[in-house]
Amino acid sequence: MQKIWSGTINGKKIEKSIEQSMTLLHFLRDELSLLGTKVGCESGDCGACAVIIDKKLFNSCITPAFAVAGCEITTIEGLSENGQLHPIQKALLDTGSFQCGYCMPGMCMALKCAMDAAEHNLTEEEIREAISGNLCRCGSYSLVVEAISLLQEVKKS
Amino acid sequence: MKRYISKNQKRSDALSKVTGEATYTHDIVVPGMLFAKVLRSPHAHARIRKLDVSKAAALPGVKAVATWENTPRKLFNSTGMMAFLYPGAKPAMDEYIFDQMVRHVGDEVAAVAATSEEIAAEAIRLIEVEYEPLPALLDPLDALEEDAILIHGDIQDNNIASGTHTIRQGDFEKGWAECDVTYEARVKLPIQKQAQLETHAAVAEYRNGELTVWSPTQSVHGTKYILAHIFDMSAGNIRVMNPPYVGGAFGVRVGFGGKAEGIVSCLSMLSGYPVKLVLTREEDFTVSDTRHSGYVDIKLGAKADGRFHAFGMNAYLNTGAYGTHGIEVAACLGNMATSTYRVPNIFFEGASIYTNIVPAGAFRGFGNPQAVFAVETAVDALAKKLDIDPVELRLKNRIRVNDEWPLSYPCSSTALDECIKQAAAKIGWSEKRGRAGQGRFRRGVGLGAGTHFCGYDELAHVSLELETDGSLSVFTGNSEIGTGHITSLQQITAESFGCEIEQVNIKYGDTRGTPYDVGCHSTRSVFAIGNAISMAAGELKEQVLQYAAGAMGCSAEALSIESGRVRGGPEEMDLGQLARDGHIHKTHFSAEGKSKEAVTVTPWEAHAAEVEVDTLTGMVKVLKVVAAHDVGVAINPQLVEGQIEGGVVIGIGYATREEMSINEKGEVYNSSYHTYMLPTFADTPEIEPVIVESYEPRGPYGAKGVGECGLVPTAAAIAAAVEDATGVRFLEIPLTPQRVLDGLQAACVTCQAEKEGGTIDVE
Ligand code: FES
Ligand code: FES
Repeated sequence: MQKIWSGTINGKKIEKSIEQSMTLLHFLRDELSLLGTKVGCESGDCGACAVIIDKKLFNSCITPAFAVAGCEITTIEGLSENGQLHPIQKALLDTGSFQCGYCMPGMCMALKCAMDAAEHNLTEEEIREAISGNLCRCGSYSLVVEAISLLQEVKKS
Repeated sequence: MKRYISKNQKRSDALSKVTGEATYTHDIVVPGMLFAKVLRSPHAHARIRKLDVSKAAALPGVKAVATWENTPRKLFNSTGMMAFLYPGAKPAMDEYIFDQMVRHVGDEVAAVAATSEEIAAEAIRLIEVEYEPLPALLDPLDALEEDAILIHGDIQDNNIASGTHTIRQGDFEKGWAECDVTYEARVKLPIQKQAQLETHAAVAEYRNGELTVWSPTQSVHGTKYILAHIFDMSAGNIRVMNPPYVGGAFGVRVGFGGKAEGIVSCLSMLSGYPVKLVLTREEDFTVSDTRHSGYVDIKLGAKADGRFHAFGMNAYLNTGAYGTHGIEVAACLGNMATSTYRVPNIFFEGASIYTNIVPAGAFRGFGNPQAVFAVETAVDALAKKLDIDPVELRLKNRIRVNDEWPLSYPCSSTALDECIKQAAAKIGWSEKRGRAGQGRFRRGVGLGAGTHFCGYDELAHVSLELETDGSLSVFTGNSEIGTGHITSLQQITAESFGCEIEQVNIKYGDTRGTPYDVGCHSTRSVFAIGNAISMAAGELKEQVLQYAAGAMGCSAEALSIESGRVRGGPEEMDLGQLARDGHIHKTHFSAEGKSKEAVTVTPWEAHAAEVEVDTLTGMVKVLKVVAAHDVGVAINPQLVEGQIEGGVVIGIGYATREEMSINEKGEVYNSSYHTYMLPTFADTPEIEPVIVESYEPRGPYGAKGVGECGLVPTAAAIAAAVEDATGVRFLEIPLTPQRVLDGLQAACVTCQAEKEGGTIDVE
């Protein structure tokens, strides 16, 4: 059964008729061609599909699209503004903190969510905590921490 | 002074990867494409008596159903190495895309292409199959029994995939009898899964007799060859491409991945539409290649002064239902086991053995982690018996340049001594070793060392072309699987040719327009493709300088290419202008690079680990790993460090938690990220990569490879550290809390009984 989904995605109002049972992940990828959100497990275990919904982090593969209708959703495509990379992206880019890159969109969203929520610079522990739900088989974990620590130092100085 | 070598050049793929614009196979959309689903065997071993697809085919939206009855009956091997085994070895040609026999739970029975994934899934449920279940074998030792059932009885009369690999040097029996101290043990190794984040997937479009396939394969040309073989097509009518990015590979994609490429090609041919197949995570776990599990028996003996004198090994690897890389992994295991230390008398025999479980194939390390785990267990045991420090014993026996060894290539460089020394020093060996003390939490340090091979230089072939704007295009059939080596290759190109790095474009991951290359694996890409590029760039430079000299009326010797311009003559010339001018005058600047001889070189590594063992729960916490690697000259140190760290994380998983469990029905028990324990952030300790530079005379700018090496000795180092902490040497990994607890309890009991207080081997 189709139904009209409406809400805000990356700052744009979206109205679209989709299957009622569709997950947010498939809505984003298959209906809106927002392919930056990745698929790793479709069971909520890897964080590759993470997006920000009303300032909170969600794994879109286990989130029904209609459960978040009317919400404000940010995906990796909405992270950079006016063609400018978000500082998180810039830090990861500068340090080359990844390999295959498949986990990166989810990682970026998790980091953004944690950094936006914190009123202070994240400690190393908090950075680790922020991406504790993101699997990276290429093992880039410590590089990501390094990148974000560096970024924060830059912000401080 | 080198401009681009040993520099941390930024990855060329960085921008697209942080913005989410990087395209992977999962993201490929071809207009009008159908979606595929696969029906898989619920039995470990069965014959299909009846297969009725009529209801599935009649479902609206279904465009094709593929089974063994309407797809090619041509045996193949699913690795890109199908045609390229070393002399004397034959690949196991033992698979069909679909067969009437199913040989493991998850084996392909049929596949459907439909207008949506849901319809395809519904159609799969409508297929009626009648199976005749057959007895199944799960353990390789059972499969070797004389009365064992045959898993590929139609093609051979035993259960060994593509033969046995044997190595002999000196006289093992005589040498063994001459040893003053000896140690022997059997180690048992688990099934580890690559578990790359992007599951296997493929898209195929068959149109006008031409087949185009998008795939995350590590070997586009290898995959093309397999497809040409199966479908009896002219290879020139097949194009295989990476999109270009690959969401992790680690060896699991050297050729077909879970047969996805073959399945979509069949369905596209049958339906006339493009077809996409994306495996679920569960399918990825249960049908694609894993690391070989199995048993390794080791015997190591030494003279009283600590010199190793005899080495014997038998490896019984479980290759599951299909042979894929069977013989090669057994051979690599043997070669790596016998090339780290000097031993005059060697015997090795190893084979990959068929059973009815998920197939094993290539996984980063390729038999080497298994080899090193066994060898280093024995080295530590001899150190104890000889009362020599394990670090000292390793330094004493390590291979030196041009030593006699059983391999077909020489040891042309090694800084293993430095690797061992630095790893030991940085973990705090002299302060920490042997200081576990008593109490619930005990700490220990351990060390493991090894080598790897970096080769298939002879299978590299590149072409270079000077474009009309003066930029340089490099065409290679290699793939980028996340390692970042395309950036290192850009550095090598710019350095060799003399242009700016921004002027270098490397085109890869597509069979169209690139010469044959065997792919991104075997720790070979920087080394082999780098060598080919250096050669071609040198030749191209020669062409350009000769032409410029003619144009300016000066001698070519006076000229050089610097920062993308020809300098040294009466005037400076722009490369673009030269290229355009050349075209008008029938001179096209292009060159090919291909190796003239087969060259294999040896990277080296030593890892030292510090652990804390909770003797009440059996929990092993890895506190730190120092990973010292001899990679020759590191073309891009930052990328090399990333490779090392990433490898260590997988090595820690191998040592402490990763293990696919198969139940008595042959089913994979843990086929999800929820149940298969990948190391997460919380499990990743401090990792200190150490690049021990040496110079490899046969590598580009002195470089060797690093890719696979990062995980080779990690498990051995961790097991050694656990022994240092607890006195118990575990002969089976992973060191899960339950296994460790059982071992500690057994050891305690045994200790008291024997009142010897020595090391107890726990199986
Ligand atoms: S794909 Fe959503 S958590 Fe893995
Ligand atoms: S970079 Fe490959 S999974 Fe994280």
